[in-house]
Amino acid sequence: MTETTDSRAATGAGMDTGLTDSLLRLGRHFRRGETSADLRTLHQIGGRSADVFYRDRWAYDKVVRSTHGVNCTGSCSWKVYVKDGIITWEAQQTDYPSIGPDKPEYEPRGCPRGASFSWYTYSPARVRYPYVRGTLLELYREAKERLKDPVLAWADVVDDAEKARRYKSARGKGGFVRAEWWEAAEIVAAAHVHTIKRYGPDRVAGFSPIPAMSMVSHAAGARFISLVGGAMLSFYDWYADLPVASPQVFGDQTDVPESADWFDAGYLIMWGSNVPVTRTPDAHYMTEARYRGQKVIVVSPDYGDHTKFADEWLPARPGTDAALAMAMGHVILKEFFVDRQTPPFVDYVKRYTDLPFLVTVAEGDEGWLPGKFLTAADLGESGEGAAAKTVLLDAATGEPVVPRGSLGHRFTESGQGRWNLDLGGVDPLLSLHGDHAEPVTVRLPRFDTTEPGVLCRGVPTRMVHGRRVTTVFDLLLAQYGVGRPGLPGDWPTGYDDAAQPYTPAWQEPITGVPAAAAERIAREFADNAERSGGRSMILMGAGTNHWFHSDQIYRSFLALVMLTGCQGVNGGGWAHYVGQEKCRPITGWSTLAFGLDWSRPPRQMQGTVYWYLATDQWRYDPFTAEAMASPLAKGRFAGRTAADNIALASRLGWMPSYPTFNRNPLDLADEAERLGKDAAQHVVDGLSTGHLRFACEDPDAPENFPRCLTVWRANLLGSSAKGNEYFLRHLLGTDSNLQTSDHAGVRPAEVTWRDEAPVGKLDLLLSLDFRMTSTTLFSDVVLPAATWYEKHDLSSTDMHPYVHAFSPAISPPWEAKTDFEAFHRIARGFSWLAEKHLGVRRDIVAVPLQHDTADATAQPGGRVLDWKAGECEPIPGRTMPRLVVVERDYAAVGEKMAALGPLVDRLGVTTKGVTVHPDAEVEYLKAANGVIPSGIAAGRPSLARDTHAAEAILALSGTTNGRLATEGFRALERRTGTRLADLAAENEGKRITFADTQARPVPVITSPEWSGSETGGRRYAPFTINTERLKPWHTLTGRQHFYLDHDWMAELGEQLPIFRPPLDMTALFDEPGVGALEGAGGHKAITVRYLTPHSKWSIHSAYQDNLHMLTLSRGGQTIWMSDVDAAKIGVSDNDWIEAVNRNGVVVARAIVSHRMPEGTVFMYHAQDRAVDVPRTERTGKRGGIHNALTRLMIKPSHLIGGYAQQSFALNYHGPTGNQRDEVTTIRRRSQEVQY
Amino acid sequence: MTTVLWMTVPYVALTSFVLGHVWRYRHDQFGWTTRSSQLHESRLLRLGSPMFHFGLLAVIGGHVLGIAVPASWTEALGVSEFAYHLVSVSAGTLSGLVTVAGLAILLYRRVTVPAVRKATTTNDKIMYVLLTTAIATGMLNTVGSNLIGGGYDYRATVSPWFRGLFTIHPRPELMVGTPVSFQVHNLVVLALLALWPYTRLVHVFSAPLGYLVRPYVVYRGRDPRRPDVRRYARAWQTPSSTPAARR
Repeated sequence: MTETTDSRAATGAGMDTGLTDSLLRLGRHFRRGETSADLRTLHQIGGRSADVFYRDRWAYDKVVRSTHGVNCTGSCSWKVYVKDGIITWEAQQTDYPSIGPDKPEYEPRGCPRGASFSWYTYSPARVRYPYVRGTLLELYREAKERLKDPVLAWADVVDDAEKARRYKSARGKGGFVRAEWWEAAEIVAAAHVHTIKRYGPDRVAGFSPIPAMSMVSHAAGARFISLVGGAMLSFYDWYADLPVASPQVFGDQTDVPESADWFDAGYLIMWGSNVPVTRTPDAHYMTEARYRGQKVIVVSPDYGDHTKFADEWLPARPGTDAALAMAMGHVILKEFFVDRQTPPFVDYVKRYTDLPFLVTVAEGDEGWLPGKFLTAADLGESGEGAAAKTVLLDAATGEPVVPRGSLGHRFTESGQGRWNLDLGGVDPLLSLHGDHAEPVTVRLPRFDTTEPGVLCRGVPTRMVHGRRVTTVFDLLLAQYGVGRPGLPGDWPTGYDDAAQPYTPAWQEPITGVPAAAAERIAREFADNAERSGGRSMILMGAGTNHWFHSDQIYRSFLALVMLTGCQGVNGGGWAHYVGQEKCRPITGWSTLAFGLDWSRPPRQMQGTVYWYLATDQWRYDPFTAEAMASPLAKGRFAGRTAADNIALASRLGWMPSYPTFNRNPLDLADEAERLGKDAAQHVVDGLSTGHLRFACEDPDAPENFPRCLTVWRANLLGSSAKGNEYFLRHLLGTDSNLQTSDHAGVRPAEVTWRDEAPVGKLDLLLSLDFRMTSTTLFSDVVLPAATWYEKHDLSSTDMHPYVHAFSPAISPPWEAKTDFEAFHRIARGFSWLAEKHLGVRRDIVAVPLQHDTADATAQPGGRVLDWKAGECEPIPGRTMPRLVVVERDYAAVGEKMAALGPLVDRLGVTTKGVTVHPDAEVEYLKAANGVIPSGIAAGRPSLARDTHAAEAILALSGTTNGRLATEGFRALERRTGTRLADLAAENEGKRITFADTQARPVPVITSPEWSGSETGGRRYAPFTINTERLKPWHTLTGRQHFYLDHDWMAELGEQLPIFRPPLDMTALFDEPGVGALEGAGGHKAITVRYLTPHSKWSIHSAYQDNLHMLTLSRGGQTIWMSDVDAAKIGVSDNDWIEAVNRNGVVVARAIVSHRMPEGTVFMYHAQDRAVDVPRTERTGKRGGIHNALTRLMIKPSHLIGGYAQQSFALNYHGPTGNQRDEVTTIRRRSQEVQY
Repeated sequence: MTTVLWMTVPYVALTSFVLGHVWRYRHDQFGWTTRSSQLHESRLLRLGSPMFHFGLLAVIGGHVLGIAVPASWTEALGVSEFAYHLVSVSAGTLSGLVTVAGLAILLYRRVTVPAVRKATTTNDKIMYVLLTTAIATGMLNTVGSNLIGGGYDYRATVSPWFRGLFTIHPRPELMVGTPVSFQVHNLVVLALLALWPYTRLVHVFSAPLGYLVRPYVVYRGRDPRRPDVRRYARAWQTPSSTPAARR
């Protein structure tokens, strides 16, 4: 080295100029150290202390593994750095176990949002102390001083109309004062005791979404709510993230491939899911798969971030996606089923879908209509389950066959070992088309025209046991307009026939996508599936799932993947990515969360229904459910509002209904006992005679109000409260910007209308959070929560196969406490007060007919029979909700919280119809967690610490405990008669402990809790157990459903996949039409579609107030609009604008971008009101958030229950809180804003 | 009052100047910076900055000459009072004008360029007011008193007073009767010195003079006689143990 430099110096390789050289030579005399011969380097000893400060800046003294318990499917494991007891920064963990040599790895995982989290720890947004609104605290303290009892004091405040109005109308207007923890917890406990005593436990509710994002924290609160008899509210459907098509088609809540499985796909359509933005840590699989030759298509109205990854972009107009999908289905049916019978496709649909099953066609007044599935009962069988066993024809003999696997085999004694998809040599007849068929013309609805119309198309039929039948496949061809020779009716003349649904040319004017592109993409999609064995995939999400008719959009998508044999195949099928988090250790979590170890059943309420009634949005519907009905409807919705339908769904046991009755269920139980009657019978008698009513039949009666609501791990009023202004007015009783009145609201047929709508229904809004949000700002009591870097917890997702831990990097600072600790404190306070005021009570719980239980066979044929109208007898558990008496020892709630109860061993634990008995696990938990020495839980395993709860969740779940997975599969084997247990056998002895998850993310075990297999290290794809092990889907036929025969599905014209356009807000609510301009000069306003997609700079409302994300984004509330629309109303980029519709007012800055299509604006979801929200010109009050312009609308078919896969389970089936169909009118406002 | 103004105040200011730097160096090495705004604007900066800085160097040199060097010394060298004044006023005026012009450019830039304006803190604003006032009153003394006015022999009053502060023989009485403009100048400069360590002016002590004569690449070996003392463990030494292990 020296030699080289010397030689260079010798050859005169000096610096730039002679002057430089001389300066450097001169420098040698001024310092110690050696200058090299070429004058370029200096070697010196010491002097390193000068950069110590820099090294110390990035030094730390501990690294802790944690993650972000935010409503995001990332579930990325992070390193949290701590220095001098202060959390300094975070970095991505890189120790995810490898997924094998043939795929990219899961690490690195993370995104800028997660990387900015540590800012919150010491930020101004942090909630540091317990807060109570001053007005309330003064009133409470005064009353307690006087009455010497917290419960009486609370009663004194809320029962006095004037006092109640004072503190309720102050909500959202500041005025928080610090309280001591004991006092805040005491107020909360007193409110709950009083509410339970006066109104009943079903007037208490808890809202906390997405258990997967921090299972222990969720379970802690849900356990308290459930043990006192309160209702936990659903969130997946309420968020409109639940694709109702999933229960309808698959009989499953949602099960999707992990992101590494995208890499297996050969053809990928991103259709409503902007993967780089909303699935940031996983998006690399999509980009990497392209290098493997994958073709990527994007369907999106705007030039979204994902569009730049696409080989082709189909810019379909917002909400018209089903039209495109129907046209693609038309092409696939025509080319791959009719023109040419593609063997793998035909084989797939025969085995795994309902296409070969027989459906009756019945002659109505004006023609033939598709009816019900033909069942074994129709064939004259009278055995058990006959009405739930569907029928197909044997292609060889032409005789009807009742194949295995349908619902009738699932819960019956005779079905033991026969609930499987083994056709036993029968080749199902797919179509009746042929020489012997008798064609009839069926009438099918169409909704693409201004007024819904009727299509007349022929299907081949045959008589079976006196009934005229056809197959679902034949009906499907008629629906899609794929003609065959010899069939009557109106058929398209070809792909270029724009007049006849559902051709490529037909969809072009609707979606704006060229017919040729639709045709070609459909062909490519199917062709790839045929040649790759089903490796064509559609990534779908909020863009296509948040519409009123999203279930139909999704069914038209799912038709594509089912027809091409992609579902249940690695690299193929649907991939639904919005809100679809996966609590992998689901059994353990649900056992703890709902207190199933102490009492069953818990109260679980459907969120959308709850809020729709509680916030009085039902009063503002100027239309009845008939507005949604098919032109072929039988008039079942005539004169019935959504509230009427909810009342019907409640009393028929379809949907849960809490508050349930207009009486306290504790008092009802006491009354029955006094009268010496069976409690259930007492209730049935009361309902029959009219002495007792369902609370939902009179939601505005004070005795039917929800009274106590606890929100944690959630920002209800900043993120999900569709109809935010209705929440503020009616639920909270404070100022709102509501721009409409209920005068035009249609008066319900059976629900009581009170002329004066109540305001301020809720007595207590409690929130636990670590940062100030719109929800905490409106709460009565705010408790300071620990952040995700300050507690023990568990995280999992469906995007990757691991479970991993949260760990405290520091103790919760200031007076913050973990949710676990907070709820245990509240529970102890509650128990203490309950000892005097409640004691041991009996509670009558009304339970809806549950999915994955025999309840799903309660109302055969999906025929709607109303006992109240005398159409049937009121029989709990069949024609109405089950009525179950639960004993509640209120003084023992605190003790029960802290121990694993005895029902775990006595009854076992059940998930999706599979029961296992965790006896060995209880023994293990006693050893690991310790045993409770005395009291009601003496001898039981401890759950007194968060780590105990985490250990119990892992031990009680098959995904994290191989012994239970194997036992579960054995139990399932007894039902299916097929081999399954080998899927978990490789892990039978493996138990994932909490310490394992703290050390490193741990891959989970294949378990009957889910539908896919990870066995042998393969990537997870849903329904692979169904396709490979012939395990039926949890549906009526046991197959994936194209056809739904419930009465209400027919009423809506949605028995088959169909295109329904976005709701017409002009027709429904008299809003101006999209594109309408009003005003002149500087006051011009334009009406546009109002979409609220998920943002790049936040996860819902989290991070959007974070300094780093505010810096990376425009910051504050913004609305994106197209340059064309902006020009029409004279708006320039960054101008202040005001957006108004009947629901509320929003003030925001305009982001004018040619990325946006004309006629549509985006206000990114959940830009909280904590940052930069000025007063409106319209009302002078502070502007609203994105949900100020939205409201709830209930789709009747989502209320269906008690029938096969259309039965209730929490977060599985229920009305969605959709918001995408909304419009708003935008104008430029004064640029002077006031705060 | 004389004692307070011309003895207490100077010592407080100078104490703040010295101890402030020590404190700043120990606790805020990350903040020890010019907070350069070159990233936001460079055209005006390229003109204004050298004018200001080199002009200021000359001005400071002039001050050393005028204050630190007693009149007797220059007289001993045979430099007459008139000759001294001729040199000091002409050179002082010239360097002063360059400094003022440079400062004017920099201030204009700071106000009119939005990005630079937004990068200006309150601390900066106070510093600029003091700096500008100091330079303005200094110019007033040089140009106003000596060039236009009759001239004032500050070497008889101000200079010995200032030197007295350092020889621990403070003579505040010397400042009595000096022109108000000189008094104001002195007080403003003292205020500037007092605030100096808490502003960006600390960069004076980090002027990269050594760069002129130093090779670009520097290797610093550990000093075996003085091992590093670290507050924190090295990254590879840090136990990233699981909380379970610590529990």
